[in-house]
Amino acid sequence: MSVLRLFPEAATPVLDPHERAHLAALASLDLMTTSRLVALQAGRSPSEAFAIASGEQQPTEPIAALFARNAELRSRWRSSAKRNQPQEVGARCEEHGVSVVAPGDELYPPQLDGDPRRPAVLFVQGDASVLDARRVGIVGTRNPTRRGALTAERFGAELAAAGVVVVSGLALGIDGAAHRGALAASAAPPVAVVANGQDRPYPKRHAGLWAEVAEAGAVISEWPPGVAPEPFRFPQRNRILAALSELVLVVESRERGGSLITAREAGERGIDVFAVPGPIDQRSSVGTNRLLADGAAPAPDVETLLVALGLDHRRAGRHRVDARAQPDTDGVLALSLLHDRAQSIETVARQLGWELGRAARALVVLERDGWLVEVGGWYESTDPIGAGSRCDS
Amino acid sequence: MFASVPSAVLFGAQGHPVAVEVHVGKGLPGFHIVGLPDESVRESRDRVRAAVMSSGATWPDIKITVNLAPSRQRKSGSGLDLAIAVGVLAASEQIPLASIERSGFLGELGLDGSVRSVPGVAPMAGVFDVAELVVPVANTSEAAIIANGRVRPCGHLRDLIAVFNELAPWPDHDVSEEVEVSATDPDLADVIGQPMARQALEIAAAGGHHCLFVGPPGAGKTMLAARLPGLLPALDREQALAVTMVHSAAGVALPPGGLVTRPPFRSPHHTSSQVAMVGGGSTALRPGEISISHCGVLFMDELPEFAPRVMDTIRQPLEEGTVSVSRAALHVTIPSRFQLVAAMNPCPCGDGNEPGGCECGDARLRSYVGRVSGPLLDRFDLRVKVERPDVNQLLDNKPGEPSSVVRGRVAVARQRAVDRQGMLNNELAARDLDRFAPLATTALDCLRDEMERGRLSARGYHRVRRVARTIADLRPHGSEVLDEETVALALGMRVSVRPPHAVGRAA
Repeated sequence: MSVLRLFPEAATPVLDPHERAHLAALASLDLMTTSRLVALQAGRSPSEAFAIASGEQQPTEPIAALFARNAELRSRWRSSAKRNQPQEVGARCEEHGVSVVAPGDELYPPQLDGDPRRPAVLFVQGDASVLDARRVGIVGTRNPTRRGALTAERFGAELAAAGVVVVSGLALGIDGAAHRGALAASAAPPVAVVANGQDRPYPKRHAGLWAEVAEAGAVISEWPPGVAPEPFRFPQRNRILAALSELVLVVESRERGGSLITAREAGERGIDVFAVPGPIDQRSSVGTNRLLADGAAPAPDVETLLVALGLDHRRAGRHRVDARAQPDTDGVLALSLLHDRAQSIETVARQLGWELGRAARALVVLERDGWLVEVGGWYESTDPIGAGSRCDS
Repeated sequence: MFASVPSAVLFGAQGHPVAVEVHVGKGLPGFHIVGLPDESVRESRDRVRAAVMSSGATWPDIKITVNLAPSRQRKSGSGLDLAIAVGVLAASEQIPLASIERSGFLGELGLDGSVRSVPGVAPMAGVFDVAELVVPVANTSEAAIIANGRVRPCGHLRDLIAVFNELAPWPDHDVSEEVEVSATDPDLADVIGQPMARQALEIAAAGGHHCLFVGPPGAGKTMLAARLPGLLPALDREQALAVTMVHSAAGVALPPGGLVTRPPFRSPHHTSSQVAMVGGGSTALRPGEISISHCGVLFMDELPEFAPRVMDTIRQPLEEGTVSVSRAALHVTIPSRFQLVAAMNPCPCGDGNEPGGCECGDARLRSYVGRVSGPLLDRFDLRVKVERPDVNQLLDNKPGEPSSVVRGRVAVARQRAVDRQGMLNNELAARDLDRFAPLATTALDCLRDEMERGRLSARGYHRVRRVARTIADLRPHGSEVLDEETVALALGMRVSVRPPHAVGRAA
């Protein structure tokens, strides 16, 4: 697939392996940021820049000014340059199957070329060319409801099945669920944008998922192996995640959170933001509902996203055969309460005016048949949002 | 001269007889106590001497030796004071030996000669084989319940000297001051809403099941737990005696009548030490909270905040109904058949109401819940989610069903269980479940499925059946076979406390 490059004459020439290792080493220095990396490389090759950063050469402007403003920077760079010699960093990258991709490279995502805060280097595990396909970013809270997670999983699966690359952040909660769904579809491969080096999967619990995503698609980071997931790196990661997506879907979000940063970054780049509507009194939907009020587009189902991408949506959303036993009369009544929110035996009994035993029987049977899941006494529907009323039809 | 006076000391919740032998003879003036007294007994030398002198008697300024027999056992406590004083007086011929021949003595002395109460009079009074037992006035009623002979309350050493010298009759102490403050347990009518938790309490009371309330602060977990004793029947004579013994030994205030007749309710703070919970201490091995709540309810609020060791040490007594405390030279077994009720927040921030509603990260949640060990969590037959009551219900202010009504149902259900199997449902052995708790086919399907999906362990399966048995017993006419509804409710009262491992399990 040929790609129209916005800046075909990009200043940076294609780097040889030696320079590439220096670039990786530069990115692994303490206190390194995107703008400092850009400043260091202004008019210099990575090896020249590394000589300055490591103190072997006297700094010239604008680095001298940078050092003058921040006294700590000089010593931290010098000491961390000792620990991160180009050969070592290069070897580390090789060890973890990470390729160093610089602007101007064939593999450098063209979507980032024109970005106002273009990453000066990317570290890619897997195959970055999968980004040539259509791409949707799915983000959300790390602490979702069960339904939220299932919704993300379903969106991930159905988008992937329609040939859309799911871009997400491998975080706990929504991110992970979206990746899992995309992987389960075994169609379009998923892409993860992460905030730390690829030597240490973070969060640890997603190490397996991380490896699967890298195997099937790609795991992309702005930072080389050895860089820790420090908190300030996550908002930075979110901008890349947004920039790589054609549209961003927020599944569940609190009033504050990283997914809202991603949504804002997307908005600044003219990328459409979609949000899954949720109950107005549910904490994990406050952020998404706010987005909707602020003008984001509602995403009640996958078809909406496919239409927005201009894809043939009729292929998607094939009705899978539902093998679950049909609920009995009590089950249907109870399930009707569970379409929009979690319920307990007590709340179901109260709303339907039933004895506790009757409500318990209805919910336990529904859970057994796969209509509900129970966590901590709360029963949640297993039908993702937007697929809710299938049992009625 | 020589005198031997019967008295007793306390180990755990048991009295042990001690013969206080006093010898007053020639030698350098001195006062020695032998027979393994500990520091608290050795201190009684100074108290006894001052008390004797304050009571108008003469302190014999010759060599006095006190032996506490049997001398191989270490003795502690101040309850031997009175016996030592009487022994000294008798040995120095200030009271006739013959007059105290058939009497035993318990009590601590003040420097002015007054007789003060001591803990553990009830268990100690039972070990005397005497016609007359002299005890401090405040301990009269508890001693009277157990003692074989006549109980003589005594307020001052001076009175004793007068009585034994036949200068005065036994003084009249008004001990029948039974103001009968029928200590009312808090009533369930105060609890608004909470149908699930109420039902759980009723089941717990009827079946003797251990119960865990999980809910945010302010949901009323403590309030609910405090109402469980009010649903339990009064203690029978045997239980009442056992509880009274333990309470007396632990120094817990006894009711005016001396006999504890209502199931006790104990709510130790979560900073309580292991010794405070299970009992122990250097010499006397005082009963701990689990023994004080024998035949009653032990409430552990903020369960995860208890020290892990404390939580683990109560597991064995939970199973066996007794606790054995051993020290180098001593080993006592104290009854501790209590019903455990515990409360915890769903997560550290406490706000973990509905799914997705709380701030807590997964790691924090895990470490909070993980403090309660799996085996202990497994001991709770009932694990019930408690929510803050609805605003409308609060304002509605409709009183709930009072304890007296629920108590009636509980009594019927307990009787059904005892008539059927001779014990409460929580004690049903697994092998008897098929006989006493048969399952309807639909109910069996329900449970089989839970087990097949790995949500129910074999132990959990038995527990669900026991709870379902109780639920069926609580029905107006009872029912022989457990139907789907009882089993479903029993399952619904076993909420999963641990966070799910993978959030996005496929449907």
